[in-house]
Amino acid sequence: MRKFLLPVVLVLAFSLLAVSCGKKAEGPVTLTVWDYYGESTPLKSVAEDFMKANPNITVNIEELGWQAMNDKLDVALAGGTPPDMATVDMTWLPKLASLGALSDLDKLSGGKLNGKPISDCYSAGALNAMKYQGRTITMMYDFDVYCLYYRADLFEKKGLTPPKTWDELVEVAGKLKEGDKYRYSMQPDAFHPTQFIYENGGSLLNSDNTKAVFNSPEAVEAVQFYSDLLLKHDVAIEWTVDKGAFIQGIKDGRIGMFSDGPYMMGVLKTGAPEMSGMWKVAPHPVGKAGAGSYLGGTGLIVPEKAEHKDAAWKFIQFCFDEKEMTAPFTKAGASPALTAALEAPELSAPDSYFGGENAFACFLEAMNTAKPFPYVRSWDEISGYFGTAMEQILLGKSSVKDALDEAAAKADEALAK
Amino acid sequence: MNKGPAKKKQGGFLRGIHKYGTAYLLIAPPLLSILIFLVGPMLVSLYWSFTDYSGISAPVWIGLKNYHDLLFKDKIFGQAMWNTVAFVLIGEGAGPVLGMLTALMLNQDVKGRSFFRTCYFLPQMTSFVVISTVWKMLYSGNGLFNELLGFLGAAPVNWLGDPNHALLSVAIASIWQGFGFETVLFLAALQGVPKELHEAAMMDGAGPLRRFFAVTLPALKPVVVYAYIVGVIGSFQLYDQVYVMTYGGPMHSTTSIVLYLFTKFRDLRLGYASAISYILFVILVLLSWLQWRLFGKEEEA
Repeated sequence: MRKFLLPVVLVLAFSLLAVSCGKKAEGPVTLTVWDYYGESTPLKSVAEDFMKANPNITVNIEELGWQAMNDKLDVALAGGTPPDMATVDMTWLPKLASLGALSDLDKLSGGKLNGKPISDCYSAGALNAMKYQGRTITMMYDFDVYCLYYRADLFEKKGLTPPKTWDELVEVAGKLKEGDKYRYSMQPDAFHPTQFIYENGGSLLNSDNTKAVFNSPEAVEAVQFYSDLLLKHDVAIEWTVDKGAFIQGIKDGRIGMFSDGPYMMGVLKTGAPEMSGMWKVAPHPVGKAGAGSYLGGTGLIVPEKAEHKDAAWKFIQFCFDEKEMTAPFTKAGASPALTAALEAPELSAPDSYFGGENAFACFLEAMNTAKPFPYVRSWDEISGYFGTAMEQILLGKSSVKDALDEAAAKADEALAK
Repeated sequence: MNKGPAKKKQGGFLRGIHKYGTAYLLIAPPLLSILIFLVGPMLVSLYWSFTDYSGISAPVWIGLKNYHDLLFKDKIFGQAMWNTVAFVLIGEGAGPVLGMLTALMLNQDVKGRSFFRTCYFLPQMTSFVVISTVWKMLYSGNGLFNELLGFLGAAPVNWLGDPNHALLSVAIASIWQGFGFETVLFLAALQGVPKELHEAAMMDGAGPLRRFFAVTLPALKPVVVYAYIVGVIGSFQLYDQVYVMTYGGPMHSTTSIVLYLFTKFRDLRLGYASAISYILFVILVLLSWLQWRLFGKEEEA
């Protein structure tokens, strides 16, 4: 026995030594950042500049897709080996925040971003979206609200103007389509139908987030209208997995109109550069309750169990530095969320891809009436139930009311857990 | 499992350590890794299955509630069970039969046998994710299958988007991926069947079909049983294919037990997910026991 005890003792001793050394060292720090932006990420260039300014900090960016990130981050946070910083979809935050997996950035920052009080750096809507139960859990990096993208070249040829109301949407979409081509794209997820629910005066959950109300008369009417675009008026194309990549549908002309966020400006430019001048952006057609969009975007977070929190905060501040703050726009084509960045001249410049118009203004306008998704721990589950209901409806397997009632019952159960 | 014999002669066990110290030392690394990475987590997740646990905040003991909800309230889990059973039945109904047919064909004196053998086995060597991605393209609205249907004048099929046959589409891809394993397995076994038996049967006037059922199949029985046990357990763990091709949709028509477990894990409901994994565990243990009872015992005799 004694013979092989010695190596064990030695290994233990060395590992203890290593641990104590690691804690004391203030030397070079390697910051691990998980990023879901994809190819056109703004973080890469920001990180290069950051490393030049801070030679003792190495930023190691791991690129993950939206879905992979969504899967992996939970595992890492639950497993206790999270990155030091991450870009996340704002809709993921409630679940993580309610479980205490995210650092309180008020504490980490002392309430200031690059010397300015955080509350002065953002619009009221953004500040609201960044908070969970009084704690600031994220710094919003870009925002996402929906407008209507349309094929301007075809509109001109056919003498159409962008639809301003729901009725006009049906009419214009009908005139735009040619058989299977140039249709309005719809998706059976929570993001797209919610646009119509909000515009019709409906909500997803009640005001204190204890009960689902996406089966209210307003919401049912809105989803009915949305599904009628496909099932009754036959002017839409349901963009499901079997259709292939979305950008492919844009390129081959199956899609003539779609509702989506500013990040699609970047996707169009990198994915379909040859279509320059063919697309434009207009305000989303309004329903009886006026305009309304979901408000989402990308947040920068520091996990509670992150190893290098201070360095992570330093990097976050750098992302909002005057020179770097417009990177979400210039690199990814998305809308920066910081007020100062929104006022930067790059953003109001005419955009040749979008026919020399400033497509961006449209999204800024939409932000004024946008609302974030409900901040509840079980949001992922609820949006899953909602998505399944949409599948049932669009496949014609169930009436709108029945499908939404069933989903609401499941959502209520999840909310009660 | 080895508690019984160890108790009976405890002195012997200690003396054993002394005597076979080197041997124990040699098996220690794999044994420890099994204890730490397999048995340990299994016990921990057994505990979690009785708790409400998010993975981040502390677990709260709730007794049998997870199991009760899963078995009596959760309709999606019920559907996931049914989907998985249907997938196993389709896959294990067709896979080994196809494997046997191809093995019998290759067992003739065909030219280029090793080439065909490699072809059939190649999908088996490729990762599920790659194969599923390719099949997803084949199944897509303007993919190869629909183009072929269009060429023949038939209407396109929404292979993965229609809840009525999405699971079948996934199963077909899985069978294509998997039956090469059985081909190679059966082919190897076929070559071990003594020629004399066939010759004797032929002398007695048995035709090829009769010879297959009276000579070949009995000789192949251990291999067939093995293929089924491995196949059923593997199919029950259906995950990669549906994760890539459908993510469980549409309308949960392809949600398998393991995929559902994963989504609950993703929802950070680790207690609930652990309970699912234990239900699956019990099912697999029961199935293995059943198969062993039905087929395994005869082999011993």
